[in-house]
Amino acid sequence: MSDPAGGSCAAGTGHCITCGDEGIAMRLVELRSAAALCVDEEGEVHSVAIDLLDDVSPGTTVLVHAGVAIGVTQ
Amino acid sequence: MKFVDEFRNAQLGRALAGEILAELEPGRHYKVMEVCGGHTHSIYKYGIDDLLPDNVELVHGPGCPVCVIPMGRVDDGIAVARNDGVIFTCFGDMLRVPGSEYTLLDAKAQGADVRMVYSPLDALRIARENPGREVVFFAIGFETTAPSTALTLKRAKAEHITNFSCVCNHVTIVPPLRALLESPDLRLDGFIGPGHVCTVVGARPFEFIPLDYGRPVVISGFEPLDILQSILMILRQLSAGRCEVENQYTRVVPREGNLRALQVMSEVFELRPHFEWRGLGFISQSALRLSDAYRDFDAEERFEVPGVRVADPKACQCGEVLKGVIKPWECKVFGTACTPEHAIGTCMVSPEGACAAYYNFGRFVREREVV
Repeated sequence: MSDPAGGSCAAGTGHCITCGDEGIAMRLVELRSAAALCVDEEGEVHSVAIDLLDDVSPGTTVLVHAGVAIGVTQ
Repeated sequence: MKFVDEFRNAQLGRALAGEILAELEPGRHYKVMEVCGGHTHSIYKYGIDDLLPDNVELVHGPGCPVCVIPMGRVDDGIAVARNDGVIFTCFGDMLRVPGSEYTLLDAKAQGADVRMVYSPLDALRIARENPGREVVFFAIGFETTAPSTALTLKRAKAEHITNFSCVCNHVTIVPPLRALLESPDLRLDGFIGPGHVCTVVGARPFEFIPLDYGRPVVISGFEPLDILQSILMILRQLSAGRCEVENQYTRVVPREGNLRALQVMSEVFELRPHFEWRGLGFISQSALRLSDAYRDFDAEERFEVPGVRVADPKACQCGEVLKGVIKPWECKVFGTACTPEHAIGTCMVSPEGACAAYYNFGRFVREREVV
């Protein structure tokens, strides 16, 4: 799993996903109480807050920005 | 990965470039602004400008939140970070943004406890783990990022975490666009709309652009085929005499946005009467501050900040770059005194900044040769 507090903001993409208007598509793999485990394009697992989305389940592709899912990809 | 690979197909990209060429009116020069720094980054990363005809010019907009932070706000952050016992947290790119004398990285080297975080939720975790320390998050970003700060503050309040606060620099995208459209310096034919801002706010806030200013807007994704298709959609509107907000990024952007995110934002934030933007000056109601219900989490209330306006260095032309008046390589210090390693201007600091995007992908070499 990534180490957001000490890691890079580039997330392997060469740019800062917390700045600009970037979001990363991730596949939700497991729901937990306060967050969900999601896998990015590189196969890296992230803990993502899903409080701002309705009705997500494993298999859903979510758009993640600054550790928070802000949308669903359909 | 699904939703990514299929939008990077080179053959389809060349086909779209051919359709763009076929849509052009002979002798006409088209200027299209990509509002968002994420689009600027993708355009140079994937060489999209190389696929476009010479008479289709992409103009970079003000949509990089690091680039629009004025030096005075950086000084405010450094002043907070230097308080005894404070753990100051911010996104990585903010560390290298120059204030009037120092960057946050300099402040860290001089002894301040400055830490990079990926999410405001990580800053809150640090506050939980350090109950004896004040933890401050330097919040920046447009409506894409503001929900994550709002959610973090909601959690802090619910958990009664009292050693956490924010320096709030969140900005909103519509007021600077209106300011740009009012600018006599700039003639634009259309806008590539900020896809991820629209994921939160929806398409409706951009309807003033066709209605009041007669310019088409196409909300776009960030993969190369998204951007090429959006340019084609703008050109088709212009050819057909149409002018409206279209959504190319339908796989992510719902027309009404993310209502839950908007509700959380309205609970936590309120509009500031005015806010200074680097290069654009003061713009009314263009930024957010904490609402009365969350005022206890406002670091500017908790700590003393200078709050002084600082003029940009004379050599720096970030303002003109942010307004799309000049190209990055036309700035006097681009690639010489100002580089990503030793940035003078904020546009060279963030990878989303137009200058850094040009520099990092080697565009300045070609442009200089042409000159």
